[in-house]
Amino acid sequence: MSITTRAAIARAPHVGWEIADLQLDEPRAHEVRVKLMAAGLCHSDDHITTGDAPIRLPVVGGHEGAGIVESVGPSVQRVKPGDKIVCSYIPACGACRPCSTGHQNMCVKGLNAGTGMFEDGTWRFHLGDQDLGGFCTLGTFSQYAVVSEWATVPLREDFQDIPWETLCLVGCGVPTGWGSSVHAAGVQAGDTVVIFGAGGVGSNAVQGARFAGAKNVIVVDPVEFKREMATTVFGATHAFATAKEAHEFVVETTWGQLADHVIMTPGAVTEEMVSAAVMMTGKGGKVTITAVGHINERAVHFHGGALIGYHRQVRGALFGDSNPLYDIPMLLGLYKSGDLKLDELVTRKYTLDQVNQAYQDMNDGKNIRGVIIHEH
Amino acid sequence: MPVSITTRAAVCRVPGQPWEITELELDDPKANEVRIKFFAAGLCHSDDHIQKGDAPMRLPVVGGHEGAGVVDAVGDAVTRVKVGDHVTCSFIPACGQCRYCSTGRQNLCDAGKNAGTGMFPDGTFRFHQNGEDFGGLCVLGTFSQYAVVHEFSVIKIPDEIGFDVAALVACGVPTGWGSAVRAGGVRAGQTVVIYGAGGVGSNAVQGASLAGAKNVIVVDPVEFKRKMATTEFGATHAFATAEEAHQFVVETTWGELADVAIITVGILHDEVIANAIKVVGKSGQVTITAVGNGWVNENPGMLIGYQRRIQGSIYGGCSPLVDVPLLIGLYQAGKLKLDELITRRYALDEVNQGYQDMLDGKNIRGVIIHEH
Repeated sequence: MSITTRAAIARAPHVGWEIADLQLDEPRAHEVRVKLMAAGLCHSDDHITTGDAPIRLPVVGGHEGAGIVESVGPSVQRVKPGDKIVCSYIPACGACRPCSTGHQNMCVKGLNAGTGMFEDGTWRFHLGDQDLGGFCTLGTFSQYAVVSEWATVPLREDFQDIPWETLCLVGCGVPTGWGSSVHAAGVQAGDTVVIFGAGGVGSNAVQGARFAGAKNVIVVDPVEFKREMATTVFGATHAFATAKEAHEFVVETTWGQLADHVIMTPGAVTEEMVSAAVMMTGKGGKVTITAVGHINERAVHFHGGALIGYHRQVRGALFGDSNPLYDIPMLLGLYKSGDLKLDELVTRKYTLDQVNQAYQDMNDGKNIRGVIIHEH
Repeated sequence: MPVSITTRAAVCRVPGQPWEITELELDDPKANEVRIKFFAAGLCHSDDHIQKGDAPMRLPVVGGHEGAGVVDAVGDAVTRVKVGDHVTCSFIPACGQCRYCSTGRQNLCDAGKNAGTGMFPDGTFRFHQNGEDFGGLCVLGTFSQYAVVHEFSVIKIPDEIGFDVAALVACGVPTGWGSAVRAGGVRAGQTVVIYGAGGVGSNAVQGASLAGAKNVIVVDPVEFKRKMATTEFGATHAFATAEEAHQFVVETTWGELADVAIITVGILHDEVIANAIKVVGKSGQVTITAVGNGWVNENPGMLIGYQRRIQGSIYGGCSPLVDVPLLIGLYQAGKLKLDELITRRYALDEVNQGYQDMLDGKNIRGVIIHEH
């Protein structure tokens, strides 16, 4: 039997989020229906309403979420009704080539992220006779959603008391940032690391770099509040408002050898930032690009010689090169032991109706992360 | 009292002018320097970039950064080699002491900083003519019968190795082989696409093949090079265009695309970079080894969605003091073909003809045999 759920949907770019009552189908084979308790306000959803993420519309927003399994379709093995789960914005089927070789972040079942279509070619959200996908085949800006069992990560017994607003962040922003430093960049003890952008992703890149033993964890962010959080809470050793100031400091502190790593986690990557990042890395250094850019900007634009002479590397990172089934419980373990700060990431909580205000606050630089607390 | 000698050399005074053969004065080696009597020098594309003005450097310059010969004289305090040793020259020195040498990355040795001027660390030059100082390219200058070089730039080789092949094992061979094995990290079973099968790319083919790649796919417009790649160096497939190679990669990998793409074309350009990024799949790597006025120009999504990476590569990521002897050992063991790389041999006076043949696609590698 289908149920009704309140959700924030985008029908077209540039018109903001609209709250609507949708019909939600029952879960089919290998699918579960989740009662969502909290949803993170990630910048990627904002890229939909700005038109920078060209995806099938209309769409139910939200790809960071945590909740309770309400019902399951046939053949579901990973979870059962009543289980608390975190949604992983990329599923992990455990059987495809990337999953079989330690790269769950690139699971082939993630291919419908931009349509929200299920594998049988159908959708679970409906408005009148119109089908709606959920962003990343999730749609956590809805009170309820039907998702693939491969996109669920069950919670161990000792994680049951973690607040929902904290849990929802470990399905995207936390592993994406942490993993950008630890997995994708491969920061090592003693390194000098520069992180562009200290928001909901970058703050976790800071924590990852610090935890990996970097000597200098240098943040570049124009917002004073974020610089202060980075240095006082998350472990940055230095913070600057501009890339130019950071560059000058890196030259000085490394005696001209420049940075080992630059990690790019701003709201949107621009050509100016990428070029500054390349020039800030030294011999054998690496630029890790985690944030996406504007749809029509070829922000990765530099002369080939900039890579060759210093043997530099520029790489993309998806989900921080993390394996959701391993890294999400591992990160929650670090949180429980006090080694990873997650509560401090949540600056403000909103109701679903306040979603547009929440994105305005994000764009105004007021939040490390905003979180929607669903009402039931 | 030091006495200078006279040496014949190919020099470039102004970009765009052909190489000029002239007689230069060559100083005696100072402390930590050695004088080499060259018997062979490789005609690498990088020298052509200088003569064409694509690689801006201090002029006038003595060309050549691939060379092998015999140590003819040594300055004070030299410990790596002695008079009479057969040596090859490394186009990047290895001081053994800087941060990069100390961490297994001799290809990034800080002592390589004067490559574009040919100046020695004390601020002086060894080649002169009528009061004018000439640098040697990469502080070598192997297009000269004799040169004075720093001991950090020489590697002793076995006496039984030919000077012609020895000249190649300290630039073109490790740069190509290492682009696959070191910087590329090619592993058994992978699919590798190599753009450009000349004096560098042919060795990338050999490296990928030795590392166990399932598909070693060459893209080169020149039929002779495609044929050499498949019949001599171990390529499994060769195509004239990137489009044909792309279609084949899609088919043979069932759409998963290539694991590694290596760019070893004569002159780097935007299109080959874009083609290489498109041809690698999830977690794939593009290794850029070729130089030229090529730009990376992509939306970040091209790198993020498939988590691709672009690795710049100097010297193929090789450490000369270990990899040059290793490559010579592979040659002696029959696992690396070097004689087949040398298509034609030239006298020093024929250097311009040698580069014309290279540009005409006639050579995998041309080599100058010095006369004495």
